[in-house]
Amino acid sequence: MKKTTLLSTQHLALLTLALLAMCFAPALLKTYGLYLLTLWLVYVIAAMGLNLTVGYAGLKSLCHAGFMGVGAYTVAIMMKAGISFWIASPMAIVICFALGLVIGFPALRVQLHYLGFATLGFNLLLVLFFRNEEWLTGGTFGIQNIKRPDFFGVSLESNTSFYFLVLAITVIFGVLLALLLRSPWGRAFAALRDNPIRAESTGVNITAYTLMSFAIGAAYAGIAGALFAPLVNFIEPAPFGISNSLLFLMMVVIGGSGRFYGPVLGAAIALLLPEYLRFLKDWYLAVFGFTAVAMMIWLPGGLLSMKEAWQLSQAKRAAGQKQIAEVAAAATAKGATA
Amino acid sequence: MKTKIGRTLGQLTVVAAALVAVSVSAQIKIAQVVELSGGGTAAGSQYRNGAKLAINEINAAGGIMGKKIESIEMDTQSQPAIAKAMTVKAIDEKVTAIFGPVFSGSILVSQTESQKANIPNFTGGEASNVTAQGNPYIFRSSFNQSMGMPKVANYMATDLKAKSVVVAYVNNDFGKGGRDAIVKELGARNIKVAGDISTDPGQVDMSSAVLRIKQANADALFAYLNEEESARLLKELRKQGYDKPMVGETTLMGAKVIELAGTAANGVRGHVGLTADAPAFKDFSAKYEKEFKAKPDHNGIKGYFSAYMLKAAIEKAKSTDGKAIAAAMKNSCFKVKDNPGILLDVCFDDKGDIDRESFLVEVKNGKQEVTAMLPMINKH
Repeated sequence: MKKTTLLSTQHLALLTLALLAMCFAPALLKTYGLYLLTLWLVYVIAAMGLNLTVGYAGLKSLCHAGFMGVGAYTVAIMMKAGISFWIASPMAIVICFALGLVIGFPALRVQLHYLGFATLGFNLLLVLFFRNEEWLTGGTFGIQNIKRPDFFGVSLESNTSFYFLVLAITVIFGVLLALLLRSPWGRAFAALRDNPIRAESTGVNITAYTLMSFAIGAAYAGIAGALFAPLVNFIEPAPFGISNSLLFLMMVVIGGSGRFYGPVLGAAIALLLPEYLRFLKDWYLAVFGFTAVAMMIWLPGGLLSMKEAWQLSQAKRAAGQKQIAEVAAAATAKGATA
Repeated sequence: MKTKIGRTLGQLTVVAAALVAVSVSAQIKIAQVVELSGGGTAAGSQYRNGAKLAINEINAAGGIMGKKIESIEMDTQSQPAIAKAMTVKAIDEKVTAIFGPVFSGSILVSQTESQKANIPNFTGGEASNVTAQGNPYIFRSSFNQSMGMPKVANYMATDLKAKSVVVAYVNNDFGKGGRDAIVKELGARNIKVAGDISTDPGQVDMSSAVLRIKQANADALFAYLNEEESARLLKELRKQGYDKPMVGETTLMGAKVIELAGTAANGVRGHVGLTADAPAFKDFSAKYEKEFKAKPDHNGIKGYFSAYMLKAAIEKAKSTDGKAIAAAMKNSCFKVKDNPGILLDVCFDDKGDIDRESFLVEVKNGKQEVTAMLPMINKH
């Protein structure tokens, strides 16, 4: 068997360059820019998880913001009770993982948009819980003044230091996901997406992998939530509602679902495009919506499929011409025999 | 694709650099951090328009101490987290004052940022806890809901002689705060709360809520919902033939609600801190309607007031420093005869709460009519 290197040289060089840029970015940005950049990284983590569930394992999940909420509330509530962030955030991951397992069960019975509806209902349930269980979640008032953590005595309260924490966590969990996708698990997820019946006949345990894809995806949302709460210093039910679940799905799909860097690009577009369009005043969200629709019409595979889409259209044109030539040839031949 | 991120970052830097360049000028810069999309659009855009009208007038008349006001608008999408981020953005741009957000949930969160930066922050929020955070830079442009509720409760006890009241509210910080305040005031006047009905923010179908209101069989209804939800409730009340007095505080009689609910709003009555139909606001209303082709409501007046209040405070402080402006407003009264733009005499206390005259109104033929004028709560 041919030995494959982990990354191509070109890939590695670009990745290093991007990381370097990310390290120097805070020096160039003001408070708001840095906040956006940090929020983008948080969204990237969440979208990476959803990409595993939707893009790689092919399960339509519409409760990702809900999972993120569970992570955020877990951290906020525990930190308010005086528990360290470094204990609270693994707890958030574990709780989300367990919830993901539970939500995975309907996925064993229903598929496609039916699964979408089931998960949508679950998201609604979570928001109702956040809003109504005031004794625990603060209800609509939310939880205020969530502190940022310390790291071995070093305060991460400043925007820049917290940014680097989020950046480090994003890189760590990005690498973990890449390794997972390269393992037999990753191939099992893809098999599950492409043809579950065949996957099962070749010995892939569908039940286990379906549940795992949900649980791991949810755990990533949990991490994102755990970072979101101290980033904003405040949480309330709204950011964890259905509209943001749809936004996460959009990030994955627009970036390129089932592609490793899809969520990175998708989150950037979903977050930054509306920012750039703000100069349009009252119209900016409408323009953003239409842009998204247009992208879906012409690039259903996401932005990262641009190259393939172009190749496909070229191939189609070539095939079309070939077909025309064949038909013409057949007609000529027919004419000749007649 | 990583290069894409590089490019995005590059663009961000360019934008940041451009902002630095703009902020160096001899103007007074303010930011309007308001709800221009999402559930608060009705309230936020009225507030924004009101402030815009005032700013244009002030600039046309030569500005504040010879400096023109430059206003930037930022949409919070009616979400507290975005409101907070936008406030940070405004502070990056070195503004003198921040107007908004109007929604209590948003200002509750965003004011921590303006406080840190020592920037005076005017709000249209009415929830009690907005001014209970010990922030010296927060200033209301309308009543604290806990100041309006005693007046409403008095009205129901003495004018309507209600023995029992059913309370319907929207389940957010605004609605819950109002619900808690009115229940307390009703209890103090020995009025029974016959029903306690919560509705969701953005709720469309009010039929079950109205059914429960009817089943409560109380002498009167007190409804406390945001604008769009109020209109839906009124329509459904009319549809199901509810015939008891419908009482509200400020929002239920708002211009936007009357516009949306149509004839279903007729007969609604209650207390308002501000009403475009009061004689003091006639001129303002005419100017607003001419400029924006729509009727102003209390939020429009709040925005207009905020801009003129800032002018009065800067002129009193003789400085555009945030600390000096805030100090000039604390525990101070401002008179219309010195500052015509503020429309009614006002007094601020040490927390940023406001006191001024207010009104009892009733909606007749699609218009608010002032039935009585109530004096300031405290003697100043």
